[in-house]
This record gives sequence, C-alpha cells and structure tokens, in this order.
Amino acid sequence: MAPTLSRQKVLREWRLYLFVVPSLAMVLTFAYFPAASAVYHSFFDWSGGDAKQFISWDNFKRAATDQTLLNSFVTIGALLVFNLFKMIPSILLAVLIHRLTSARWQYAYRALLVVPMIVPSLVTLFIWKFFLDPNLGVLNRLIDFTGLKSVLVAINNFFGWGVFFEGVPIGWLSQPELILPALFIWGFPWIGTVGVLIYLAGLQSIGQEVYEAAELDGIGPFKKFIYIELPLILTQVRLSLVLLIVGTLGSYGLQLQLLNEYGGPGGRGMVPGLWMYNRAFVAGEFGYACAIGMVLFVVILALTVINNRYVRVDK
Amino acid sequence: MSDSITAAPLQRKRDWPKHVIIWGFILIELFPLYMMFQVSFKDNSSFIQQPWLPLPPNEWQWGNWLFAIKLIGPYLANTVFVAVTATFASVSLAILAAYFFARHKMPFSGLIWSAFLILMLLPSVANIVPLFMLLKSMNLLNTLLALIMVGVAGGQVFNIFVLRNFIEDLPKDLFEAAEMDGASHFQQVINVVIPMSGPIIGTLAILSFLGAWNDFLLPLIILRDKELFTLGVGLIYLDGEYVKPWGQIMASYFLASIPLIVIFLFTMRLFVRGLSAGAIKG
Repeated sequence: MAPTLSRQKVLREWRLYLFVVPSLAMVLTFAYFPAASAVYHSFFDWSGGDAKQFISWDNFKRAATDQTLLNSFVTIGALLVFNLFKMIPSILLAVLIHRLTSARWQYAYRALLVVPMIVPSLVTLFIWKFFLDPNLGVLNRLIDFTGLKSVLVAINNFFGWGVFFEGVPIGWLSQPELILPALFIWGFPWIGTVGVLIYLAGLQSIGQEVYEAAELDGIGPFKKFIYIELPLILTQVRLSLVLLIVGTLGSYGLQLQLLNEYGGPGGRGMVPGLWMYNRAFVAGEFGYACAIGMVLFVVILALTVINNRYVRVDK
Repeated sequence: MSDSITAAPLQRKRDWPKHVIIWGFILIELFPLYMMFQVSFKDNSSFIQQPWLPLPPNEWQWGNWLFAIKLIGPYLANTVFVAVTATFASVSLAILAAYFFARHKMPFSGLIWSAFLILMLLPSVANIVPLFMLLKSMNLLNTLLALIMVGVAGGQVFNIFVLRNFIEDLPKDLFEAAEMDGASHFQQVINVVIPMSGPIIGTLAILSFLGAWNDFLLPLIILRDKELFTLGVGLIYLDGEYVKPWGQIMASYFLASIPLIVIFLFTMRLFVRGLSAGAIKG
C-alpha cells in the first residue's frame, strides 16, 4: 500500500492530482455520463431529437410484456450454457500442454496458439459465415463427404423434424430451427488463446516431480486432473467464468453480423443487446432502447453479485 | 531436474498421444488461416471446382491482391491511425493515473479508486445509445476522433488496475533516490516507472491495440463517410455484396491481418511470456 501523507505534505504534493485528472475526465465523460443519461432517458418517450416526453415507468411496463425481449432472454440463456460448455476444450488443452515433459515443445505450442490471434475477430466471424454457407461452405461439404448427411436425414425422418432433406443443402443460417445449433458449432474447437495461456500460468506451479510422485502412487490421468490440476487453475477458471457471463450477456455483434438486425429468420438469434440496438437504430425508439439497456444491466449485475457470493475467488 | 533427464526417453514415448491431440486442435485452429491464404489466389470458378487444395503458384491470381490493396488500403490507414493513437493515449494516461494511486495515499484517492472500479461492473452495452447521442451533441459523429476518445476511456479501468499493482511492487528506494536528486513526479514517471515496467506496458499496449483493431460496432454506428471507414466497417460492406468474389474477399481479409502479423512477429516472445507470467493475475 502507498503510505498515508501528513497534511503539509499533501499541500505540497497537490500537483499529483493532475496525474489522475485526464483519466478521470475521460471516464466521467465517456462512461459515467452515458450511463447516467441511459437511466434518465429510460423514463422518456424519446426518438433521439430535442422533443421528449416523460412517461414514468411505461417503457419498463412495455418491456415486461415485450414477447421479443422475453424470448431473447431465453436465447441468451441457451448461448450462456453453450459458452460454459465451450470453456472445456481450453482447459483440457492447457492441461495437455502442461503435462508434456519437453519444455521446448511446451513453448512451441504456446507460440502456435498465439498465431490465430493475428486474424482480426471480424475476419474470423466472416470466415465462419463462409464455412456455414449452404452451397460452398466447409461444414456442408464435410457432412456430405463423411456420409453424415444420410444419418441426419434418417434421424430427421424418424422424429419428423422437417429440418434435414436428401439433396437439399443445409441452410445453417437460413433455417430458423438451425440457428441455435449453428451458433453452438460456431468457433469449433472453441479454443480461446488468452484462456489457454492464463490456465497455463496457473498450472506453472506444478513441477514434474509432482507428476512423478503421482505416477509412483499409480494415479491415473483423470484423477491427476481432479486432484492436482483442477484445484490449481480454479482461480483462473472462476475468473473466466465471470468474464464469460458478463461478456455473453452483453454481446450482440456476432448475431448482428452473422444474421441481421432482426436476429435472422424467425428472429431465433435475437438477443437482448441486439433488440436494444434494433429499437434504437432501426426503429428510432431511443427511450425504449435505454430501458432495455437498463433491464439488461440489472440482470448482468444480479448475476455478477451471485457469482461473487457463491463462486468465491480465494487467494 | 537430473531425474527427468534420465527418465526422458521413456516419458517422451508416452507423450505421443498428447502431441497428436494437441496437433489436432492446433491444425483445426489454423485451418481458417490456410483457407484464407490459398483461396485468396483463386478466381471464383477455380474455387468452386477445387476449394480445398491450393493452385500451383504459376496460376495464382495476383489481381485479387491488387483489388484488395486498392479497396482495403485506405481503411487500413484509418485503422492504423486510430489504433496507434488510441493505444498511445490510453497507456500514457493510465501510467500517470496508476502512478497517482500507487505512489502516495492522497486524500480522496480511495474514493476516486472506487469510482474507477465500479466501472468494471457497468456493462458498456447499456451505454451505446446515450454514447451515440453524446457524440452527436459534441459534433463528433462521423469522425475518427470519436473512436479514439471512446477507445481511450474504455481502456482506462483495466490498464490502471494492472499498472497500479505493478508500480506498487517497484522498490521504494528508487523513488526516494530520485526524489533526493530533485526529480519531479513527472520525471520520476519518465525515468523510473517507464524503464522498470517495459514488459507490462508492452503487453497492455498490445491488448489495447488488438481491442482498437477488432472494434467494429462503434465504427459501424458512428462513421458515415466512406473515406473515414475503418477496417471493421469496410469489411462489413464488402460482406454485404450479393455476388461474392471469394478470392478478392479472402485477399482483403488476409491483408487486414498483415499489420497484426507484423506486430506479433516482433512481440511474440513478450506476449507469450508476459501473459503467462502473471501479467494478468486474477
């Protein structure tokens, strides 16, 4: 901790405040002011101009019965579950790399993992959009090539889904029923570079001798993970969990670019953030958009509080 | 250590299944890069005929790359300008603010600190609509300056948080010695803090740069004029075309990645080490 100063010293050191003023000014202007403005305007009927009318809680009453908004929360819930599942490969990969005996290979794999980060995220998004393309896309070609298509068609006929047909390319992003599955497949094999590197940092404290001791005791690879590795990366796993929840609930760029402002066919990909964007910049209902933002904020805040209470990060 | 050397040949034999699995993951991760590269040399007909394998080099369509340079070049310049300026301003301001918190406990510094920390809880998603109106009233819509300002403000909390911990851990004697020699606070920042925290500043700068480079929502909302487009908006408009010349599109994508390739080539070691060595502690 920085030492506490006497009164005289504070008076002499007043210039030090100048160091924090620029940061504080930026944050107040571009983060606090918009936040306060969002709270204020969520009580108004406002279409972005000078004219606005105070309507008290009407925006929130409307939100409570807005079917699109309610459905969008179901969708984001599903995406959250997907993303929790998608954390697993990164953890496994970090553990696998850490268990290698050769330090040189460990470093080489780390470096190789950083390579995909050179692709801008938007480009990754568009490449995936291209992979999911019905006619040219990699995914459909792979499904045709491996004969998985006939299996899918058979399952489809058995259950009567009406989703997969022989001789018709699968429209991952154009058939309403397939939008959620497509969002699940998106990003396969779900390796997050930063995540893997952070897990590896947590694993660093386990030396080779721990593994050798475990081997002498005849402990299998699975038990090693549960008793040796998992406890050591729990802090990092919890940290990514918190970031993941906040990130998933607030995000809508993926849906906006992969589908459209309306969440794709049937609105199946509509998430709360996208609905807010849609109301503001498509419908011009800025007041209502602010209210949706507030609802979303309260949900994220509640989840963060629950997270901090039940998923403690102990140091 | 000596034990593991003698045991190495036996261990290495048992490591091969792990290598296979790791390579499997990495190859899938690198597959988009491969597709991007080889498709960028094809025209549509050869792409539809044979999408998987690269063409022999004498049939490469360099025209795709010329097209991409013409199309993406101006957007690249805009993005580099925004990303470099925002990164520099963001990290500089954060160093000064972190110095303020780390060096002395001034009156109100606890209050100001919590003002920064609460921001970590505020999801920026609820802010985008009022932010748009704010920029409109400041006459900053359709300017690159708006992107820079918002980017700087957005990066402050995280950067200050990391840098404060780091500066607090620097040896106090250094500051005292500098003070003895009559160095002002600003000189202490320049001559003590910055030389001592090179790797962490580098890591934060790369993360800021990546953030600025990858941003596309704000530019999409703010920018209207084609001359001001950053990469994000440019690529979105390219994606909106009906008939897609895949070769040209992929060349543009690849071109958009090149500045990042250059940066990572120079800083790979720093980045891999910095991130793993606890630059980001929980």
